[in-house]
Amino acid sequence: MSLLGAEKLNKRFGGVRAVQDVSIAVPQGAIFALIGPNGAGKSTLLNLLSGIYQPDSGSLSFDEVNLIGLRAHQRVRLGIARTFQKIRLFKQLSLLENVLAGFHIHQDVPLWQCFLSGASGRFRAEALELLAFVGLADRANDRAGALPYGQQRMLEIARALATRPKLFMLDEPAAGLNAAEMEFLLKRLENINKRNVTVVVVEHNMDLVMNVAQRVFVMDHGVPLFEGTPREVQANPQVIEAYLGGEFAA
Amino acid sequence: MKSRFALFLIVIAIIAGLPWLITTPYWRGILVLCAMNVLLAMSLNLVLGYTGQLNLGQSAFFAIGAYVSTILIKTYGWNFWVAALAAVIAAGFLGLALAAFAARLRGHYLAIASLGFAVITYQVLLNWEDVTEGVRGIYGILPPVPNTVALFYLVAGIAAAVYLLLDNLVRSPIGDTLRAIREDEVSAASLGVNAAIWKAFAFGLGAGIAGLAGAFYPGFVGTLVPDAFGIIESFTMMAMVIVGGMGTMIGPVIGAVVLTFLPELLRGFGELRLMIYGLALTLVVLFMPGGMVQAWVSLKNRLRA
Repeated sequence: MSLLGAEKLNKRFGGVRAVQDVSIAVPQGAIFALIGPNGAGKSTLLNLLSGIYQPDSGSLSFDEVNLIGLRAHQRVRLGIARTFQKIRLFKQLSLLENVLAGFHIHQDVPLWQCFLSGASGRFRAEALELLAFVGLADRANDRAGALPYGQQRMLEIARALATRPKLFMLDEPAAGLNAAEMEFLLKRLENINKRNVTVVVVEHNMDLVMNVAQRVFVMDHGVPLFEGTPREVQANPQVIEAYLGGEFAA
Repeated sequence: MKSRFALFLIVIAIIAGLPWLITTPYWRGILVLCAMNVLLAMSLNLVLGYTGQLNLGQSAFFAIGAYVSTILIKTYGWNFWVAALAAVIAAGFLGLALAAFAARLRGHYLAIASLGFAVITYQVLLNWEDVTEGVRGIYGILPPVPNTVALFYLVAGIAAAVYLLLDNLVRSPIGDTLRAIREDEVSAASLGVNAAIWKAFAFGLGAGIAGLAGAFYPGFVGTLVPDAFGIIESFTMMAMVIVGGMGTMIGPVIGAVVLTFLPELLRGFGELRLMIYGLALTLVVLFMPGGMVQAWVSLKNRLRA
């Protein structure tokens, strides 16, 4: 059964057709990779799925709820979380505050109590657990902007997990990571997936895609090119051509 | 928590003791003004410092508070406290109206729109003479309490209470949400934050507090003219917030105290006064970009190291 389904999505920016007639079905419980060369429209597609953009046409549903017209913050309540290609942390805030902000939709402190008690809510322990999960427990009170790049990526993941997603979409999570950080990321993704979270990952890094993804969706120039298992994708001449250019495809 | 309570007692003691140290009527008046400025700086800080919205319209809410309460008292014979409550509500609703702009505009664009809002408010006060008396002004306004010292206790007490409430608020989950919007709105949306609603909350609350300060102003001066609410007042409030340290609770309080007393202390310099004041402002912003609170923290760290 597919958790997230899109039919014939289109998105145009001026004269550029960034996404053309893309239909995808992300199966429940899968790790689903979205790959393609630079400018293939992967990030645009992710922005359509997460609600940063609305499509010009097409249909989109999640868990049998129509997503068209729902804005990004509304989709989070349905259980859709995401990270960004260009890291967007709350840089001036501490790691802990970053993750606590992620619990926004689960906060249940009545408004009047916020004025009277200064209670920080009941998610502190859980936020610290999430920090530990991404290996940042000992830096909880540091400023997020002071973290090295790779750890900033992990913090963004912890923050998004605080929304308790059913579907977690990551935009190039491996970009800028070293080999050890990559290894850690792979393990975490698999771990997240085991907790019954469906994962969609936009990625350039083939190692990551081939190692963790169960299904791979390939795009080029805004159109779907191929969909299959990692092994099928690797062997597909069209995909190889799109990635390496025509002369290698023969 | 215990040290916080102790600190609060100290502040209460200082507020209680100040009129005994400062005995001339003129300086006691400055004390009242200072307490009002603390309220105004806190109100702007909620919007500017915590929610990150560049709002240059705060003087308008101060004005609305002053005019609504005064007109209700003078023309309709309302009790001061009911009128003050009405002033808070009126200013708060106008804050929500400005928040509608903030939902669509960001940064400099919001600054210009909110500045326009302050200009319009000023012009309405000036020209809607049937209601506001325009430049002729409203005269003979009585304070809610019989003397300056009592008025200082009243306004300072309210400022302390507002400080406590806001201090709790910014440490609550709502504080996390507001700061998230300040830092990155797209990111906040990706966590389920409806920025438009929370901006409206901050603008409405900030405007209401400014309106409350406004309700005390006319009784203090005794007269009410539109010129007291020129857009320069918005910039003065912003200077208090920035000089003290925006996004901290204590910063704008310090900023308000310093920027209320500094011009008065400089009176001995005659015409040079405003120049020195301007120079001091520039130097603070140049060399303490995080305001006085930030400067104090770095100084403490340097001494410790």
